[in-house]
Amino acid sequence: MKRLAILVLVVILASMVPAGAQPRFFEGKTVRIVVGFSAGGGYDTYSRVIARHLGRHVPGKPTVIVENMPGAGSLIAANHLYKVAKPDGLTIGNFAGGLVLAQVLGQPGIEFDARKLEWLGVPSREVCVCALTKASGVTSLATWMAATKPVKLGGVGPGTSTDDAPRVLAATVGLPIQLVRGYKGTAEIRLAAESGELAGGCWQWESVKSTWRQGLESGDVSVVLQIVTKPLPDLPSVPLASSLAKTEEARQLINAGIIVPTEIGRLYALAPGTPADRVQALRAAFVATMRDPEFVADARRSKLEIDSMSGEELTRVVQNLMKLDPALVAKLKGILK
Amino acid sequence: MLIGIGIGFAVGILPGLGGPTTLALMLPFVFKMTPVEAFAFLLGMAAVTNTTGDITSILFGIPGEPTTASTIVDGHPMAKNGEAGRALGAAIMSSLFGALFGAIVLALAIPIVRPLVLTFGSPEFFMLALLGITFVAALSGEAVLKGLAAGCLGLWFATIGLAPVSAIQRYTFGQLFLWDGIGLVPVTIGFFAIPEVIDLAVQGSSIAKVEVGRLGGVWQGVRDTFTHWLLVLRCSAIGTFVAIIPGMGAATTQWLAYAHAVQSSPNRERFGRGAVEGVLGPGAANNSTLGGSLVTTIAFGVPASVTMAILMGAFLIQGLVPGPSMLMPAPKGHLAVTLAMVWTIVVSNVITVAICFLFLRQLVRITEVRGALLIPFILMLIAVGAFAEKNVFEDVMIVLVFGALGWVMNRFGWPRPPLLLGLVLGPLAENKLFLSTDNYGLAWLLRPGVLVLLAVILVGLFWPIVSKRRRRATEAAVAAPGPETRPEGEGRGLRLDGASAFSLLLVILFAWALWQSRDFGVRAGLFPWAVCVPGLVLGLAQLARDLTGRRDEPLSEGLGEAGPAVPADVAARRSLEICLWILGFWVAIWLVGFALATLVMTVCYLKVARERWPITLVLTVAAFAFVYGIFEKALAVPFPTGQLFVWLGLS
Repeated sequence: MKRLAILVLVVILASMVPAGAQPRFFEGKTVRIVVGFSAGGGYDTYSRVIARHLGRHVPGKPTVIVENMPGAGSLIAANHLYKVAKPDGLTIGNFAGGLVLAQVLGQPGIEFDARKLEWLGVPSREVCVCALTKASGVTSLATWMAATKPVKLGGVGPGTSTDDAPRVLAATVGLPIQLVRGYKGTAEIRLAAESGELAGGCWQWESVKSTWRQGLESGDVSVVLQIVTKPLPDLPSVPLASSLAKTEEARQLINAGIIVPTEIGRLYALAPGTPADRVQALRAAFVATMRDPEFVADARRSKLEIDSMSGEELTRVVQNLMKLDPALVAKLKGILK
Repeated sequence: MLIGIGIGFAVGILPGLGGPTTLALMLPFVFKMTPVEAFAFLLGMAAVTNTTGDITSILFGIPGEPTTASTIVDGHPMAKNGEAGRALGAAIMSSLFGALFGAIVLALAIPIVRPLVLTFGSPEFFMLALLGITFVAALSGEAVLKGLAAGCLGLWFATIGLAPVSAIQRYTFGQLFLWDGIGLVPVTIGFFAIPEVIDLAVQGSSIAKVEVGRLGGVWQGVRDTFTHWLLVLRCSAIGTFVAIIPGMGAATTQWLAYAHAVQSSPNRERFGRGAVEGVLGPGAANNSTLGGSLVTTIAFGVPASVTMAILMGAFLIQGLVPGPSMLMPAPKGHLAVTLAMVWTIVVSNVITVAICFLFLRQLVRITEVRGALLIPFILMLIAVGAFAEKNVFEDVMIVLVFGALGWVMNRFGWPRPPLLLGLVLGPLAENKLFLSTDNYGLAWLLRPGVLVLLAVILVGLFWPIVSKRRRRATEAAVAAPGPETRPEGEGRGLRLDGASAFSLLLVILFAWALWQSRDFGVRAGLFPWAVCVPGLVLGLAQLARDLTGRRDEPLSEGLGEAGPAVPADVAARRSLEICLWILGFWVAIWLVGFALATLVMTVCYLKVARERWPITLVLTVAAFAFVYGIFEKALAVPFPTGQLFVWLGLS
C-alpha cells in the first residue's frame, strides 16, 4: 500500500517535471549498493570497486556507497531489495545468481519474484571448473571416468556450485563422485584437498585460478573438467562437461543447473517498480563503467576479472531460466533437493 | 600503523565496540593504502584491541571486546577486591608476552607451517573441538551440574540455523536472520554487559565502590606474570596453536586458556573470586591468537577467524594472494610483507603496553565516575556495536535476549562461561564430525592424531578427579571436616521460587527442542539429540535440587554481591527501573532510529537521575555527535530509519 502510494507520488512528480530535467534526479543523491555478503569477500570487493566508478557515469553524478547485509547466502539482501527497498533507483542489490534458480526450484525462504526485479547487469560471467589434486590419482577425465572408487569432492552447501555441480554431473553424465558436504568455503575445500582428505572440488575458474595458482603452476593441481558452453581461452585443452552428455536432456540439465546460475553469479538488480528512465540510466552507467579504463585498471589491481553482461542480456537470461520446461524443473528438483 | 593503534586503542576500551566490527567499518579506507601500510594499519588495530579490551573487562566487568570476556571472570573480582592495579598489570604484561609469543611462532613457523597443518584433517579438528568442549567441566567452577547444563544450552544455541550438512532449518522460526545461527558478538556483549549495567544501576554508585580507585600493585601484577611464566607460556601456546585451526579465534582460545589456568591450578576454589592466574591465562591467549590466526591466513588463504577473514579481504584488495608465495623471498614471493606483519605485531604491542602503563591512572579514573553518567553511554555503545558488525537490527534484539539470560543466570548462580564455550565450539564439532565420517567412514577413529588427542582428553578428564581424590585423602588425614560442609538449605519442603522457575524453563526448553528435532533426520538431528538429551537430564536433576532446596552457594562470578549492600526493596525497585530504561532505549531505537534515540534517551535518563542541566546537555550532545557524526556520517553505517518515520511516511 505504502509502496503504491510512493509509486503514485513518484509518477505524478515525474510527469510534472519536464522530460529534460529527469537526469537531475541523481544529483546530490546517494546510491547504495546492498551486498548480500560480508565485508572483505569476493562480492564485496567487486561492489566496492564498482562503487568507486559507477557514480561518474550516472547523470547527476551521485555518490555511490556499499553496504553489507550478509546472511542466508545473500537471500536476506535479495528479499530486502524486493520487499523493503524503495523503488527509487537509489538502492542496488548485489546477490548470488543461484537464488534465481532457487526460485525456479521452489526452495524455501525465497520472498522475491525474479521476473519483477529490474536487472542491472553482471560484471563478470563466471564459469565453473572441477579441479583435482595429483595426489588423488585423477589427472584427466579419462582417469576420472575409470576411477573404481567415487572421487571425493568437497561441498559448501546447497545453492553453491561446489554442491550443485557435482550432483548434476553425477546424475547426468555418470561421473563417479562422492560429494562431502559441510566445508565452510572453498578455502577449506582447498586445504582439505591439499591434506589428502578430498580429491578436489568444482567452483569458479576465476577463484581457482587466483587462490590455487601455486598448485596449478607446480602441477599438483589440475583442472580436469570445465562446465561451459565454449572452452575458456586459458583452458583450451580441458574437456567440456557437455561433451560427456549423451542426451539433449542431460545437456539442458547441465546448462540450467550449472552453467547459467554460475554465469549470472554476481548479479546486480534494482527494486521492482523502479521508474523506467532511472533503470535505463543506471543500466547505461553500468555498461559504461565496465568499459571505463580507470575502472578496468582498478579492477585489475584488485585481481578482478571483468567480462560483463548488460542489464538487457541479464534480463533475457533470467527470463529464460524462469520459463524452463516443467519436466526439466522437476528433474532438477530431484537432483538438487 | 600508529593510526591503527590509536583506533584500536579506543575501540578496545570502548565496551560494545569490537575489533571485527571496527575492521569491517575501516575496510573502505584500506583501499587507498599500499600493502604494507594497509596491514600495518589493520594489524596495528587488531593487535591492540585485545590488550585494551582487557582493561575494560577488568575495570567495568563489561567485555571491552568479545574476545576479552574471559578476563572479567577473575579480573573484575580482583578490581572489586581492591586489586585493580595488580589485575591490570598482569593483564597488560601477559598480553605483551602472549603477543610476542604469537609473533615469534609466526616468524619461526614460516618454513614448517605447511607440512604441519596439512597433517591435520577433519578428524583431528573434530577431536580438538571435543577437547575444547571437555573444558566446560573446568569452567563450571563448583556448580558442576549447572555448568554442564549451561554448556549443553550453549551447544544447543549453536544448533540454531541451517544444519551444516543437509541445510535443514533448525529452530529458525522461519526467520532468515537465524539461518546463519546466532552471532557470537551480540551474544557476548549482551551476556556480560547488560547484567553489569543492571548491577551498576542497582548499586547506584560508581563502579569503583570503594577500592578500585587505589592503584597499587601494578608492579605486583607485572611480577605475577613472571612468577607464573610457565602458565603464561602455556596459555600463549594454546592461543597460538589452537588459532591455527580454521574457525577458532580468540573468542575460543580465551576460554580454553582460562579453563587451562583453572585446571592446572592446585586450588581451583579461588577462581571466579579474583585469582591472578585467571587474568594471566586469557590475557596471554587472546593476544597470542593473532599470530596463530595469521599463520593459516597467510600460508593457506584460509581465514581462521572473523578478523582474519577481513584481513584476507584486504589482502585480495591489494592484489596479494595468500598462500605459499607469502612465505618465499622477494622475486617470487612476498616474504617481506609477512615479516613486516610480524614486526607490526611486535611494535604495536610494545607501544600499546607503554601507553597503557602511562595512562593507567587516567583510565582507572573512569571507574570513579557516577554510574548514572556512564549508563546511557554504555547502552548506546552496546546497541551500536551489536548492530554495526553485520548491519542487522535483529542482532540488537539478540543482545537484549542474551542480556536477560545472562542476568538471570548470574542471579541464580549459573556459571556463564560454559555456555559461551559451547556456543563457539558446537558448530565446529558438528561440522567436523560429519566431514570425518563422510570422508573416512569409521576409519578416522584410528588415525594416530585422533588417538593422541583422545588420550589427551581422557587424561584431562580423569586427572583432576584422581588428583582431587589424592588431595582429599591427604587433607582428610590432616583435618577432618573441611570448610566444604555448609549448612544444608533451610527448608526441606518444595521451594518454588525464581531459581526453580529458571531450571523448569530450561527443562521445558530442552524438551521442546527435542520434540522439534524429531523430524530433522539423522544428519541434521544427531547433534541436537546428543545435546538435548543430556541437557534435559541435567536440567531435571538441577530442578530436583532446586525444588528440594539443596542449592549450591551462589557463585560470585565477579558480579552482584560485593560492594555496599543495598536494601532488598530498593534493589528490586532499581532493577525494575533499569530494566525498563534498557527496554525503553531499545524501543526508542526502533521507533526513532539510533541517533535520535541516543539523543532523547540520554537527556531523559540523565534528567531523571537528577543530573544538572549543563552536564546533561554536554554529555548528550557528545553522545549524539558520536553516533551521528562518527557512525552515521563518517563511517556510513546504514542505521535503519525509525519505525515512527516510516509510519508517518516521512522517509
